[in-house]
Amino acid sequence: MRNDLFLIKEEIKKNIKILLCYPVEIMFWAIFPVLWVIPFIFQGEALVGGVTSSEFGKLAGTDQFIPFVLIGAIISTYLFSSLYGMGGSIRMESYWGTLEYILGSPARKISILMGKALSESISSTLFVATQMVICIFGFGLTLTVGKILPILLVMLLLVAGLYGMAIALAGVTLQIKESRSLVHTIEYLFYLFSPIRYPVGIHPMIAAVSVLIPLTYALVAIRGIWLLNQSVSVLWQYVAILALLDVVFITFGYSIFYFMEKKVRKSGVVAQY
Amino acid sequence: MDITNAIVAEGIVKVFKKKARRKHIIGPKIGKDELVYAVNKVDMKVRKGELFGLLGPNGAGKTTLVKCLSALLLPNEGTAVINGHDIVEDPIAARESIGITTGGERTLYWKLSGRDNLRYFAALYGLSSDEANQRIDYLMKIMGLLDKQYERIEKYSTGMRQKVSICRALIHDPPVLLLDEPTLGLDPSFSRFIRLFIKKDLNEKQGKTILLTTHYMDEADQLCDRIAIMNQGKIVAVDTPENLKKSIPHDEVLEVKCLGHADFEGIGQRVYSQSEDGVQVHRIHSENVEEIMSEVIKAADSAKILSMNVTKPTLEDVFIHLTGTRLTGEFNEE
Repeated sequence: MRNDLFLIKEEIKKNIKILLCYPVEIMFWAIFPVLWVIPFIFQGEALVGGVTSSEFGKLAGTDQFIPFVLIGAIISTYLFSSLYGMGGSIRMESYWGTLEYILGSPARKISILMGKALSESISSTLFVATQMVICIFGFGLTLTVGKILPILLVMLLLVAGLYGMAIALAGVTLQIKESRSLVHTIEYLFYLFSPIRYPVGIHPMIAAVSVLIPLTYALVAIRGIWLLNQSVSVLWQYVAILALLDVVFITFGYSIFYFMEKKVRKSGVVAQY
Repeated sequence: MDITNAIVAEGIVKVFKKKARRKHIIGPKIGKDELVYAVNKVDMKVRKGELFGLLGPNGAGKTTLVKCLSALLLPNEGTAVINGHDIVEDPIAARESIGITTGGERTLYWKLSGRDNLRYFAALYGLSSDEANQRIDYLMKIMGLLDKQYERIEKYSTGMRQKVSICRALIHDPPVLLLDEPTLGLDPSFSRFIRLFIKKDLNEKQGKTILLTTHYMDEADQLCDRIAIMNQGKIVAVDTPENLKKSIPHDEVLEVKCLGHADFEGIGQRVYSQSEDGVQVHRIHSENVEEIMSEVIKAADSAKILSMNVTKPTLEDVFIHLTGTRLTGEFNEE
């Protein structure tokens, strides 16, 4: 157990040190999601003639269009930067020629994956923290201290499910080597079917599919706490579903990784770039 | 449990699927998918404390065999027992017994220091932080890397990177080492250091069992207690270097160097030719080389003979004798 913790620590240290060698990457993830959201804010303002809309409020439960979109941008950045990072991490290990040494070591793969997932969380947290500072000081988004803990609880549950998805993605990357297009696909499906940019009530099909996506529950719960001043006890069903989805995703993710690792060892793909 | 052998491979087969080419990206396939037998029914025993060479040309299947033995690749058939642990049934225990290094520079984290690299790999092999530090201090000292330990790998020379790779293989002090082309691409001084370290320190002093793959015949000849000659996925002979050389039915080879084209086919039992820096080098196997010299001079025709030497058979000659092809490994000793 102690040695597993040492391995997780070394994995995090390694990834953070390598990330710090590429400051442009950090700038990209911190700034781009905010720049991305600005056209939607301007578009919304142009369409409804201001920063609030009663029509929007009927669907979203809040008429505050800008905070709604900003929260969607922040949470989705956390999700996608982690997914890109995890897939990219396996890809880079393969490119560096170190993947064979990792897979050929006696270490428990779950410890390596935990280390990788945690280091992605650390870097994603840094990106999102930068984004939040920009949102608070640049766009007037407010956050009271009392809301931080409940929001963190929901975030933790989202992150646990995210780890399951990321581990599955790492397994798939062992086989297909390049996972960016797969993450792009997931990203656009999530943009379409979860309430990142708009409330899912906008279309019955979107609402039906959104119930399968953990991000939906996390966004509804976080916006409820942040914008509508709801407590966790009111939002308990969203929190419970998130926790249930975590178990499903982590079990599924590790099973996929284990299966893919065995498959690439058998096919010999493990030794290819 | 086998107490005399550290590595026992039984009937290992590793097959890769080579997909048929397509005329266009989405067009029909030209031909059929092929099965390539990279390792084909290999049986091998390496005794404890032995320095065992696997000699063969590029593409012979040496690296694939090493990857199977290290439990990185799953064999399609057969298995191997490393230090008492089956690589298929108990790969984790087998991996704990093995230190591995493969040729090629890009197997380390170039943006990390030599020390950070080794700490990470120490963690992968279950060492604690203190154990890792002690082991890294010891290994970097004997490799002469202490003064460069905090520099990034990207600033190291090729030879220094190979030294770090060897430190990585030794980080958990394993009883069995799989060294795949450890001197590939190194300059002569680094090659000599690595060879001496393998032979004197790791094998003779520490008693480690070493499987060394190489396509440098002289390296195998100088270092190994026994050699397996591998070609096209199969082991074609296993013995000591001396016995292998004795296995050739004649104990002398005529080496002829000449400028220009000369055809010596039909002289002696076997002729093998190659070009080295514009000079044609022909090795002619014959039971009595002195008798064929006059035939050689006559057959040289317009080509200018630079030298004719009667030499003892080398492992290259053994390889030619067994397979009909050359090893083509140039030895980079000073």
